[in-house]
Amino acid sequence: MLAAALRKRAWRVLAGVVFFAAAASLPFVTTPFYVRVGQLVLFSSALGLAWTLLGGFAGYWSFGHAAFIGLGAFAAGIFEVELMKGQPWLGFALGLLVGAGLSALAAAVVAWPILRLRGIYFAVAMLGISQVLAELNNNIDMFKGSMGLVLPRLSAFGLRPEALYFYLLLIATILITILAFAIQHSRIGAGLMAIREDEDTARMLGVPTERYKVTMFIASAALTGALGVIYAHSLGYITTSSVYRTEFSLNMIVYNLLGGIGTLIGPFLGSAIMVILTQVVLGRLLSIHMFVTGALLVLLVLVAPKGITGLVRALRQRWSAR
Amino acid sequence: MSEPILRLDHVTKRFRGLVATNDVSFEVPEGSICSLIGPNGAGKSTIFNLVTGYLPVSEGSIHFQGRRIDGTPTTDLARAGIARCFQIAKPFPELSVHDNVRIGALFGRDGARDIGAVTRDALALAGLTERAQTPASELTVGYLRRLELARAIAARPILLLADEPCAGLNATETEDVIDILRDVRARGVTVLLVEHDMQAVMRVSDRIFVIDAGRKIAEGPPEAVANDPHVIAAYLGTDEE
Repeated sequence: MLAAALRKRAWRVLAGVVFFAAAASLPFVTTPFYVRVGQLVLFSSALGLAWTLLGGFAGYWSFGHAAFIGLGAFAAGIFEVELMKGQPWLGFALGLLVGAGLSALAAAVVAWPILRLRGIYFAVAMLGISQVLAELNNNIDMFKGSMGLVLPRLSAFGLRPEALYFYLLLIATILITILAFAIQHSRIGAGLMAIREDEDTARMLGVPTERYKVTMFIASAALTGALGVIYAHSLGYITTSSVYRTEFSLNMIVYNLLGGIGTLIGPFLGSAIMVILTQVVLGRLLSIHMFVTGALLVLLVLVAPKGITGLVRALRQRWSAR
Repeated sequence: MSEPILRLDHVTKRFRGLVATNDVSFEVPEGSICSLIGPNGAGKSTIFNLVTGYLPVSEGSIHFQGRRIDGTPTTDLARAGIARCFQIAKPFPELSVHDNVRIGALFGRDGARDIGAVTRDALALAGLTERAQTPASELTVGYLRRLELARAIAARPILLLADEPCAGLNATETEDVIDILRDVRARGVTVLLVEHDMQAVMRVSDRIFVIDAGRKIAEGPPEAVANDPHVIAAYLGTDEE
């Protein structure tokens, strides 16, 4: 199935490879500012992809995925600071596992009760969970959420920090893209699509709905947790409010909506547009930038309710119908 | 006689005070087309919901191929070979006809080896080959019914439960559905039908079970059932009331 899917989409796969190769050259051809913008685009795209494994594929929108960014960041941070002194890279590698693992565990624990909730109830339950975790992280001294945590500094090949994290995020994004593609074009991907379209019918057709939802929730949480670990290192110093950000939860949804929900290119398009818009184009108009961003979002939702990919598809159909 | 494909023994289903299915027993022989008929609200769809595990039975037992299945989750029953078509078609609206049927094939009985071939075959059987790429949301009622059937057939079921496949169809469309059901049976699939279209039921069924107010009031081949005084009373009412 996967081989056939790859063959059928040979051009898109090639385009993806070219895109990532071009991205890899970015730190050599541009200024640190744009490398940081690239970093943010990659981080946002990867988050959007991790979110879409459950949200886009199965239609279970989480409004609280920032919980896993925070959980991953703090779990890895505390682990590295307390147990991995003097071994930054080994600490980081194991920290990735700790962050992803703890996020996966948290997802597994809450999966059974909350994945029974459909639609908006699941979304709200996740929002609640992220708020609770943020409060706990902030108020229990052991977690250092309010004081903050300084992470071990990473360096390699004499790369400047922004280039190093750019490459780490690039690798993470490529891996998540490959994984998401493989899932989308496997049996489980078809089952998730059936769940999104009509869960009762899916069950009637023999789709193991509970198992698929739980698996994807855990996978999505683990990947988000791992991204949180990289992000925490790129910041160098984290507090509760820098990683448990409701804004992250919302952005993951916005990137997908904007680009086209349920697609793989959607999160890339959505995050590229939003990040470039907010950081580059409107960066000098700080006083009105939130206003302009909001207005643009409203406009895009009106013009392209199915995102950019949906708009392109509709235009193409209109052209071919002529 | 060999073991029936489906056997209901004294099945009762209560919703609080309401008895929707009351001590119903019947057997569906292998390779047959059987029909459940009865007035609206008689409890026919409830029986389907019980057989597919969508609702738990209150009393009695259900056997499929000699194995007791009441209490088994819907998903597992689907994989064991019980497929169902809905009265109100439930397509995956955003997906194409082909992709709808493919999902049936992917998750059907013991996983098909060649999904592509099974999908094409089911599309052809239901006369949907030319509409394979149409989004399901754009189909007419007649074609939606075919899609329901194709998706169920793609799962390679042993028993197909079809809930009013002819409802709301015109004469030609009804004819097509009957042909499809006969083709399905010719492949060795046992069919249990709930249907209001009496003409269709009489023509296609080997055996008919008549349900009224949750009880089975008659059973037999079409001619016998059509002349049964209980059945006539249930459908037309009696003088005594």
